[in-house]
Amino acid sequence: MAESAKSATAKAEAKGDTAIETLDAAQHRVTLSLEIGLYPIDVVYGAAYVFLDRCYVLLDKQEGGAKGTSRYLVHLRAKGPLSAEQLGAMSGEFSNELLSQALRRKIVKANQKIIEEITTQAIAGAAGGTLPSDFLDSGDDGMDFLDDPLGIAVPWEDKFKKKKDGEGADQ
Amino acid sequence: MTTTSPTPQTVQLHRALYMQQAIKEAAETFADFASFKIRRDGAYYAVDISDIDADTDGDVVAEFCNFALHHTIQRKKKRL
Repeated sequence: MAESAKSATAKAEAKGDTAIETLDAAQHRVTLSLEIGLYPIDVVYGAAYVFLDRCYVLLDKQEGGAKGTSRYLVHLRAKGPLSAEQLGAMSGEFSNELLSQALRRKIVKANQKIIEEITTQAIAGAAGGTLPSDFLDSGDDGMDFLDDPLGIAVPWEDKFKKKKDGEGADQ
Repeated sequence: MTTTSPTPQTVQLHRALYMQQAIKEAAETFADFASFKIRRDGAYYAVDISDIDADTDGDVVAEFCNFALHHTIQRKKKRL
């Protein structure tokens, strides 16, 4: 690494749960260090997935670091040139995304039973409904298409004439 | 993280975080731009990348890492 790049590299001691481990403005990269106990891997994956189109993401794992705890290292490198401030903002957005993913995970876990129940009801309802195949029943009733058991095809005049003749004969 | 260069490079992807099948899939995707050799190296998959196409726009190695991560996440989601 060049001297200028070295001078641009800022190391920050990890304070709290999420921290910028290194920020290298010359190489447009920032490394975050996350405590494994606080951020499940699904949360890290979720946040990394969101950032894949914005920057190059490389995940690493640090077993028993200086503090004796295992940590995930998230290396983010911008796809274009970014200033140190912009890199800091990007790492902040990543941290926000981590929290967002963690919250989503918590909500899904809390509502797991309700989600399953609603899904089951929806599937059961769909299964009990009328299916289009019900209308395709080709059961043969032994009738021709010209058969007219209800006399629908008989002209009105014929029906009327017969009745009138009958009535006239009675009178 | 590595930078694009025509010289061979080795990327180390942690085995706890990247799936071998996903790395293979990413290597197949980028087969036209470089040669990939995947091997185990302790807790890591070491990917030796050589014959990197110098005419290609962008960082082939970094894009390969992004693809490997993308495929890993996709595969993990399918497993759930």
